[in-house]
Amino acid sequence: MMECDKIQSSLVDYIDNNLSENDAGKAARHMKTCKNCESVLKEMQEFLSVIAEDEMEQPSKNLRKSFEQMLAKEKQHSESKVVKLDLKRNWKWYLQIAASILLLFGSFLFGRYQQTKKFDQQLVQLKNENLASKQTTSLALMENRSASKRIKGIQYIEEFSDPDPEIVNALVKRMQNDENSNVRLNAVTSLQRFITSDTVKDGLIKALDIEKDPGIQIIIIQSLVKIQERKLIKPMQRLLDKEDTQPFVKEEIKTILSNII
Amino acid sequence: MLVFKSRNEPKLSKSLKHLKDEELMILVSNGHLDNLTILFDRYHLRIFNFFNKMIHNKDVSEDLTQDVFYKVMKYRTSYKNGNFTSWIYTVARNIFSSYYQKQKKQSASTLDEKFIKSDEKLDSDTNEDEINHLQRALLKLNHTDRELIIMNRYQEIKYAEMAEIIGSSEGAIKVRVHRALKKLKEIYFQNI
Repeated sequence: MMECDKIQSSLVDYIDNNLSENDAGKAARHMKTCKNCESVLKEMQEFLSVIAEDEMEQPSKNLRKSFEQMLAKEKQHSESKVVKLDLKRNWKWYLQIAASILLLFGSFLFGRYQQTKKFDQQLVQLKNENLASKQTTSLALMENRSASKRIKGIQYIEEFSDPDPEIVNALVKRMQNDENSNVRLNAVTSLQRFITSDTVKDGLIKALDIEKDPGIQIIIIQSLVKIQERKLIKPMQRLLDKEDTQPFVKEEIKTILSNII
Repeated sequence: MLVFKSRNEPKLSKSLKHLKDEELMILVSNGHLDNLTILFDRYHLRIFNFFNKMIHNKDVSEDLTQDVFYKVMKYRTSYKNGNFTSWIYTVARNIFSSYYQKQKKQSASTLDEKFIKSDEKLDSDTNEDEINHLQRALLKLNHTDRELIIMNRYQEIKYAEMAEIIGSSEGAIKVRVHRALKKLKEIYFQNI
């Protein structure tokens, strides 16, 4: 019954060939099994064919004649009005054009301003994000088991113009505690940039007490001398008193001490 | 008739006969009124038959058809590039609707009944029995159902265009046309 309702509601489309192939096939199959639907279909077909036979009727010639008269009259009428109409339309038209150009240009400028502002904001944000991720990477690398990775981490820092205190602390720690002298050397070199910072100064002085590598000892001394750090004198003297300090380091210290005093 | 016509027409219009309805109407709305003749050639028969099926009165249908083209001409500048068929049928429907309202006021009996009584030709003509029977059945429908059938079956306007003219959805129009056809079919077979 449901099926019959569905078929009969699309009967006209079925006759007009407006159904999809699938639906038309379904309907055709149903017609074969359902006598009722088949008779409804035949009735509708017969009925629609009567409509189709109904031909269009012709109007009298008056229709065209009066249309032509009407058109001729309108043409005359509009021609006499042409000049006036045009004038009226012209200044309005120019005003409209001017307004649209202004609007177009204005919105272009505004759009561009907005765009640049937004773009700048995005750029700054991106830069910040990039920096943050680099710092994280750098910190992680510095903790790596491989010495070369740790050096890479230290070298990363050179790209930062204004690194986090965390980074500096990590660097100081590397300089004081790393088992690999190359890593320590790199850390000292990197720290040169932040030599004015107190943490770095204190770190360097402390490192001087711990450091065994003469090359690094000299670099630390030289960098601290450059900024004329007074606190340097005591650890230098300690280094001088130590037996295992290399002679050339002692030489260096001696010349520096004599210069300071 | 056509040959006679083209001899009178300006050459410009003749060369524009390949243009689409919409293109011609844009020309008309820009002041090239002669092009309205081409649109008249294309549409006056359909519009006339639309009215004639609706009210079954040739004289009135001619007047109403004339009225449609008058409105198209007068309001040409309000045409905005839309589907021309939809537009002209919208104009025709408005004209029919105001005619229908006027008639309703003038006569106490319903308009549809009046049409049947007023048309003697329907009863006297025996040669085209089926067609007349159909016309009588058509006039028994209310005018909205009748209009749907005329547009869909006689004028062969597509559902989508009908939806645009009537201001409804394609699906809804389809359902309404089918219902109207079913109703008409019942009336038709009842009295055969």
